[in-house]
Amino acid sequence: MPMDIVDYEIFGDDMQYVEVELDPGEAAIGEAGAMMMMQDGIEMDTVFGDGSTQQGGLFGKLLGAGKRLVTGESLFTTIFHNESAGKRRVAFAAPYPGKIIPVHLAELGGTLICQKDSFLCAARGVSLGIAFQRRLGVGLFGGEGFIMQRLDGDGLVFVHAGGTLMARDLAPGERLRVDTGCVVALQQSVDFDIQYVGKLKSALFSGEGLFFATLTGPGRVWLQSLPISRLANRIIAMAPAAGGRSRGEGSLLGGLGGLLDGDNN
Amino acid sequence: MATTTSGGSAEAPIAARLFGCGTPPTGEEAQLTFWSSQVEVRSARGVQRVPLAILRAREVVSAEAGLELSWDARGGSCALQVFSPAAIARLRSHPLLREMAQMARLRASRMRSRAWRTVAVALLGLFVLLPVLALLAFLWQADRIAGAIAGRIPVAREQQLGRQVFARMRDSLKLQEQGESLLLVRSLGERLTRESRFRYEFHVAADPAINAFALPGGIIVVHTGLIEATRSPDELAGVLAHEVQHVELRHGLKGLVKQLGLRGLWAAFTGDAGGTLAGEAAVQLGSLRFSRAAELQADAGGFDALVARGFDPRGMVDFFGTMEKAAGATPPPWLSSHPTSAERQQALQARLEGLEPAPGR
Repeated sequence: MPMDIVDYEIFGDDMQYVEVELDPGEAAIGEAGAMMMMQDGIEMDTVFGDGSTQQGGLFGKLLGAGKRLVTGESLFTTIFHNESAGKRRVAFAAPYPGKIIPVHLAELGGTLICQKDSFLCAARGVSLGIAFQRRLGVGLFGGEGFIMQRLDGDGLVFVHAGGTLMARDLAPGERLRVDTGCVVALQQSVDFDIQYVGKLKSALFSGEGLFFATLTGPGRVWLQSLPISRLANRIIAMAPAAGGRSRGEGSLLGGLGGLLDGDNN
Repeated sequence: MATTTSGGSAEAPIAARLFGCGTPPTGEEAQLTFWSSQVEVRSARGVQRVPLAILRAREVVSAEAGLELSWDARGGSCALQVFSPAAIARLRSHPLLREMAQMARLRASRMRSRAWRTVAVALLGLFVLLPVLALLAFLWQADRIAGAIAGRIPVAREQQLGRQVFARMRDSLKLQEQGESLLLVRSLGERLTRESRFRYEFHVAADPAINAFALPGGIIVVHTGLIEATRSPDELAGVLAHEVQHVELRHGLKGLVKQLGLRGLWAAFTGDAGGTLAGEAAVQLGSLRFSRAAELQADAGGFDALVARGFDPRGMVDFFGTMEKAAGATPPPWLSSHPTSAERQQALQARLEGLEPAPGR
């Protein structure tokens, strides 16, 4: 099935949203809860599964829904279709600070493998599936777990991750060592493995953990600079309510400064 | 398709994706055909023929497993990748590629990784199964294990526990501070427990339900309903002797240890600690239920104690007869968790017959 071709525009710097323009009759699928606004004439429809037409029958639908559950997505997908006579826009917002990147599946050979939970929205016809990590070591120590998301189709998908997102092209055989947890998405052609940091001293004291993720080309990979889990850990460590310690931010007044700076509750 | 002049193949080309060789960084579609000594790669950029001798093979794993053939060209290295299972199988079994050392290595590593996977699955299975096995073992030997653990708990500790539970229950019980029945229960109880290591306390609660219960450490509560249902002090002594045996045999403590153990195992198994154990313990003791075996044991022990203390054991036997008649459709609470009165009466009757001629009073 040919994908709907959608025009889009991404707004914002670090807390972005993407506005997708739908021609009459076109549709986009969005992650549940990601919709930010839509214009008149766009109808919202919630379907069980991922809304792609590949899955026939009840069993196929259940299977699709089950897959979505495993990847941490909602059971239902929302389809936004333009029922009006003109072009209409619908916007999807990223759930946490980071970047939204558009990926043309056709350019990648039809398949993108990405971190679970990173899918934001796509043209109708893209199917969301799961990809099990084949390598035990990568599943355990690769930072992305055993289950990744697999997006199939030939349309446009929008993927979101934390911090700054960087796309990198790897030549055949070119290897990149990446901090585990920073891999957002990769083309199917890229080999994803882990590697022991090499020295016991580094493993213990470098703060990089025991393993690197290694990505070997050819193909394109996307990396995030700040996995949301890392940000969350920092915030919790700092949050007094969660048992953290708020530091004086260098104020001479120290604890007293907290009384004066006005952000007490 | 292509000609077969040089001993090449007339097979259908294999769909692959070509990287490097001037293609875009994300590669492009290509068709792969084998000839006797070279492979033909047909893409939008044209056709190139690569000698088999310079080909390298490698497995690519990015959640999905694929096969890559790569070679060095003038503009850098090029790679062909195949991901569909059918195409991978065709490549793997291709007579020309089978000769390649890398293919042999790939096959070997595949076998190795398969072996590893088996080991990993086995370990994982064991990991999952272990708590289940522990749970089953505990369920199977629960009474024995609980008994052994309870045996290590000092009496003072048990009494403290009993008092704590009693303090919680006290408000909901209408305890009688004085009265004939209290005096009667106390005097009978003291006679039954004279040389016990436990310090007993006997209470009478105003409640029409025919019930009596014992808490760990020696607190025994008798409902007025039960006292009214007995026709002689000997019958009441029979009930008390039974309850005293629950204390002496530490049934409450054993039951508690068993419950806590199961709960702890359940928590370890499910990762759900649900509720504080101590709070649960109080609830559990408040509505103590002993096993059938424990009840029969308490009956037998009580019977012997009655005989030893000079009570008429027939009182105990008779009381079950009274109970049986009173029971009707709904048994009184004291019996609800117990074996049937008739069954117990029979067991005691047998004991009574073993005793004849009766020791008298």
